[in-house]
Amino acid sequence: MVGPTASLSTLNRADGSASYKCPATGYDVLGAVNGPIELPARRDALKPEDATVEVFVKPGNTTAGVGERYVEGILRSVLGKVILGRERGFPRRGVVITLAIVGGDAVERGDSYLTILPALLHTSLLALLSAAVPLSMTFSATLLGVTKSGEIMPDLSAADAKTAVSRHVLAFSSKNHLLLNESEGRFDFNTWEQVRERALSICQELTMPGSDGDVAMGDESDGSKVDGFVRETVEDRLRRDYTWKIDS
Amino acid sequence: MSKEAPLSVSERQFILEALRQDARLDGRGPDQFRPLSITFGEEYGHVKLQLGKTSLVVRISAEVTQPRDDRPFDGLFQINLELSAMGSPAWENGRSNDLEAYATHVLDSVVRRSNALDTESLCILKGVSCWSIRADVHVLDFDGNLTDAACIAIMTGLQHFRRPDAVVKDGQVIVYGVEERVPVALNITHKPLSVTFNSYNDGKNIIVDATLKEEQASEGELVIGINNGGDVCFVSKFSGAPVDAMEVVVKSNVALEKVKDINTKMEKAMQADLAKRAKKGMADLSRAENDR
Amino acid sequence: MSTPLILLPGDEVPSNHLPSTKSNPLKLGSGVRLLSQPSTNSAASSHVLTASQAGILTTDAKRNTVSLQSFSNRRYIPTTNDLIIAQIHHSSIDYFHCIVTPHTAQALLGQLSFEGATKKTRPMLNRGDLVYARVSSVGLGAGAEVEITCVNPATGKAEPGGLGPLTGGMVFDISTGFAARLIRASSSSADHGDAIDGLVVLSELGKKLESSGGFEIAVGRNGKVWVDCSAAGDTAIKSTIAIGRCLQSTDDNNLNTTDQKKLVTKVLREMKLSS
Repeated sequence: MVGPTASLSTLNRADGSASYKCPATGYDVLGAVNGPIELPARRDALKPEDATVEVFVKPGNTTAGVGERYVEGILRSVLGKVILGRERGFPRRGVVITLAIVGGDAVERGDSYLTILPALLHTSLLALLSAAVPLSMTFSATLLGVTKSGEIMPDLSAADAKTAVSRHVLAFSSKNHLLLNESEGRFDFNTWEQVRERALSICQELTMPGSDGDVAMGDESDGSKVDGFVRETVEDRLRRDYTWKIDS
Repeated sequence: MSKEAPLSVSERQFILEALRQDARLDGRGPDQFRPLSITFGEEYGHVKLQLGKTSLVVRISAEVTQPRDDRPFDGLFQINLELSAMGSPAWENGRSNDLEAYATHVLDSVVRRSNALDTESLCILKGVSCWSIRADVHVLDFDGNLTDAACIAIMTGLQHFRRPDAVVKDGQVIVYGVEERVPVALNITHKPLSVTFNSYNDGKNIIVDATLKEEQASEGELVIGINNGGDVCFVSKFSGAPVDAMEVVVKSNVALEKVKDINTKMEKAMQADLAKRAKKGMADLSRAENDR
Repeated sequence: MSTPLILLPGDEVPSNHLPSTKSNPLKLGSGVRLLSQPSTNSAASSHVLTASQAGILTTDAKRNTVSLQSFSNRRYIPTTNDLIIAQIHHSSIDYFHCIVTPHTAQALLGQLSFEGATKKTRPMLNRGDLVYARVSSVGLGAGAEVEITCVNPATGKAEPGGLGPLTGGMVFDISTGFAARLIRASSSSADHGDAIDGLVVLSELGKKLESSGGFEIAVGRNGKVWVDCSAAGDTAIKSTIAIGRCLQSTDDNNLNTTDQKKLVTKVLREMKLSS
């Protein structure tokens, strides 16, 4: 299984950006983050001590509709919990996250948006890291499908997702807390519990956060393990940005 | 948030003074475009274009739909340009601005209304079904000259795109999958491109392919849409200071030269990509269909 | 530093990497925050340092600071004592309202915050004029205003040197990370010869352009460089463009010292500024 590929800070104008490609579903997502910036219309939001998080999803070859607004809502609530909106310079300002689906098939109107949700979540996280927006933690997400025979399938393609009886997107923080659960279709609680365990192990077969910090990250994290892959992408870029420092 | 940060007095004066001495900030000549790079994504009609620091992605897509009542023999073609905060922090998501309206107008005139894409060839069954072709422009990085860059990318995309084959049998429309029949290229009648000129110092200095800072310092602009054969399909002196009428004629020649040059580059990039695809063979082609 | 320690948000800063001086308190720079942890083990320290952005852990034993250096293209967030290049947006009775970064709240510059300024002698600045200023305060709490100044309030002088209005010249945009490097490179001893922070582009340009009159430069932490070569006479414009191109190209392509030297030679030749 080929792991996802990503690179950081690919754009010039945005404060932070990332491109992310998921091989299983074929989605290619570009993310840009601008922040902290002034949002004229929403200056005195409900929480004046906090930053306002805005998410915008731009489909590749259709006009944005209800599906995009729905997934934006999910992303906003997850990212809003992770972003430290009270750090200096951020309260009352906005963090604007723009995600463009530049590759892969369009999500047809009325189709499930869950297939692309992990890609959108990972792209947002990487773009936020690239913009150095303060975050309390990182996270990783995965999509699992349950077949008619009750088998749990990882690495779903869009076609697999359609045939699955139920689909689940779960995201875990780098501290292994469940951050997000979106499920669709028919399933019972036992199935969900199995799905959760499987998802946790996928998201977490990773470099252990913290304890792993002082070991120079080497070959131990292979691409399919999501959190390790985030770390790898970040390190690649940092090493490139700071070659002048590391080499000397 | 809706406006780009204004130029400072120093920057404006410097750009104008430099142009008086025929110098540009990146060392280009007045009639020189920035380096152009065209690459393709996995699907047909997926173009990534980079012009200096301006970059964008164009995706062409096709679907079967019903033709308009008043044009039963015509297919549909639509160019969709939506500026998001990705291209520039000055653009607000979900809210259109002047540049978006202006660029859409120019692209529509140069590509769609000049009939670069033969829409009649998109008709499948008179009055019942036709192809609807859609070009989506995603601006990733904005550093000036959005219209020319988008125009090049759309034209490349249209030539690169392959739609599934469709036939009419006993009054029934059958759309063939890519593995059943080789997908067909679109019918392109001519290859027009827009070339935008910006004028400075009372029209004494006129340059092509302005960067964002150069655009901000400009006193007026002139857009010429022209094809390889030298047929002008669009001239717009949209805003700003007047330009001498003779300049329009002179600059049309410059534009023609640029368009020929760009079309050659476009052709080269596309042939290279199509050759690469042919090499990859049928195996990949059918896999692409499975993904669909 | 051989193997840099790279942290992601949520990672703990390992205590063996912290400066060991116990005499004065540790100062936290950007990207590091202090969390108190209710610990079950009473012997363990109840405070932990965690990262809040991705970056390379950097410590300064002399000043007893710890911070994370993140990606270079991030947006500038005003920090007290930073030098910046600000652009006047409009003026009110007491203040000039200045743009420090686009699309953020304007910073305030007192009408009298200039060397030797009185009500009668204060500089008349208009919209679009540039000033080289120091961030004097960033305020507290939400919606606080950033104040900048062109004078050291203690001495009444424009300290550090060069603060005040910038006239003529040209401003080039660079990444904020590169701006920080340029400031360190140009503030450490100018005739040091060696590369500081891996930068030789400025000293190289200085050497090559010295004969034609040299140049003035001001670097703002907000990602702007002001360059003026008016002393160079006829070649002023070309020299300025050459400097701007060299700086931007070094930034964009992350050039090493050898490539920076090559670039300077190449650009100067292209612009016909050297034989």
